[in-house]
Amino acid sequence: MDVGIKIIDSRGAACPGPITDLARAYRNSKVGDIFEMWATDKGVKADTQAWATKTGNEILETREDPDKIVIRIKINKR
Amino acid sequence: MKKVLIIGGGGGGLILANHLDTNEFDVTIVDKSDLHFYQPWFLYIAFKGSKRKISRPIGELVRPGVNFVKDEITEINLDERKAYGSRKVVYNYDYIAIATGTSPDPDSIPGLRQIYDEYGDYHSNVYNSQKLWSHVKNFKGGTIAIGQASPTCKCPPSLLEGAFLLEERLRGMGMSVGTSDPLSPSNENDPTKTGEKGKSRIVFFTPFPRAYSAEPMNKVVEPMVKERGIEVMPFFDVDTIDVQNKTINSLEGDSLKYDLPIIVPPCKGPKIKFTPETVQDEERFIKADKNFMKIPGYDDAFAIGDCNTLPTSKTGVTAHLEAMTVSELIQGKYSEFNGRINCPFDTAYGKATFVIADYNNPVVPYPPTATKHFMKMSMARIYWMTLMGTADPIFERFFNITKPEKLNRKYSVPE
Repeated sequence: MDVGIKIIDSRGAACPGPITDLARAYRNSKVGDIFEMWATDKGVKADTQAWATKTGNEILETREDPDKIVIRIKINKR
Repeated sequence: MKKVLIIGGGGGGLILANHLDTNEFDVTIVDKSDLHFYQPWFLYIAFKGSKRKISRPIGELVRPGVNFVKDEITEINLDERKAYGSRKVVYNYDYIAIATGTSPDPDSIPGLRQIYDEYGDYHSNVYNSQKLWSHVKNFKGGTIAIGQASPTCKCPPSLLEGAFLLEERLRGMGMSVGTSDPLSPSNENDPTKTGEKGKSRIVFFTPFPRAYSAEPMNKVVEPMVKERGIEVMPFFDVDTIDVQNKTINSLEGDSLKYDLPIIVPPCKGPKIKFTPETVQDEERFIKADKNFMKIPGYDDAFAIGDCNTLPTSKTGVTAHLEAMTVSELIQGKYSEFNGRINCPFDTAYGKATFVIADYNNPVVPYPPTATKHFMKMSMARIYWMTLMGTADPIFERFFNITKPEKLNRKYSVPE
């Protein structure tokens, strides 16, 4: 079920980059929210991992589609 | 004659207006202010006390045949092709381009309004930049916390530019910078005594994972940050400010104490009521597609520059290039914006670099040089020509020889 998943489309963003959109979404989020981030910037995987570790949130899935990198994040702490 | 209505007389609005054929189109710019400001210079007012005149009347920056009206647009109905100004004036159009820029929002973070009113900042306006300068030039010692309050901010390099110029300034005043000052080995700097006269700490906080958000440019500037004794607090997105205890708290759970706070407020899109209201996102930015700047669902409505949601930096060069594309599209030619950014980045001590990338090519690890600093300084003079379109051939050549794919072949180190 994709209901309630917030898509964060950061494809094409190189500077300041996908973390901008993730941090923006985090500000308006609540515990239990699930984000699905779409990005093309190669650094997104390491940055999102570092962000999740810092903020205490959880990466559910990381996969590489032909046209984008997809990362699902569950908000556990807010 | 088809009517083109442009909301905003900033860089994007003026460049668009000045590239339309006024024998073919009836072109009108509407702005609530009759002055245009060269915003990149706020930095030099705030950190160097520059007194350069950085504003000109919008009416003097338009080509003959372009109309300028001073009025505040409060409502736009995209379905009826009407914009509403004050005194119940209605503007009809065949094409509309929204180019309002952003507005600072110091009220969305508890405590920030007080900081903003007392200390100013270096993004909002001349007055705020002068206010900040009065605090910088009289700073006697202690911790300066400098950074952006939220990730939604204009001009990504400007944040670190502020920290770099501040460090240069403090050292120029004979002060030490950092808890263990690497540039003054003889200095007995004790972290517990940073409030002491002549000793300072610069703490650069950022919502990003590193000092500069884009990794390739971070590799270039991070060693400079360290060498100059500037401390970095990454993943620091301002949640609240405790003005009584002089402490900034982050969404990520960290705290930072300050003696002088330099906080760039979050920015939001224009305070205009749109029909349909779905064209604005939750921060009022106007949704537009990333190649043609068209507002979804409308072939006659565009959003250009800082006010739109494009996945690129909010910076003068994107407003410029987006405006060029929109002028071609309105005139029936094919054109596409490729996300190109070209942001000048002053690294202090007479050197600068450029942050160059586009949608398909990552940021170039472009080293700072004195020549690039000269180019950044020259821009303050030729800027007015770029608005009129007079400098187009030079820019076209520059953008061509500095394409990110070309520069990356030269400067990028393979992984």
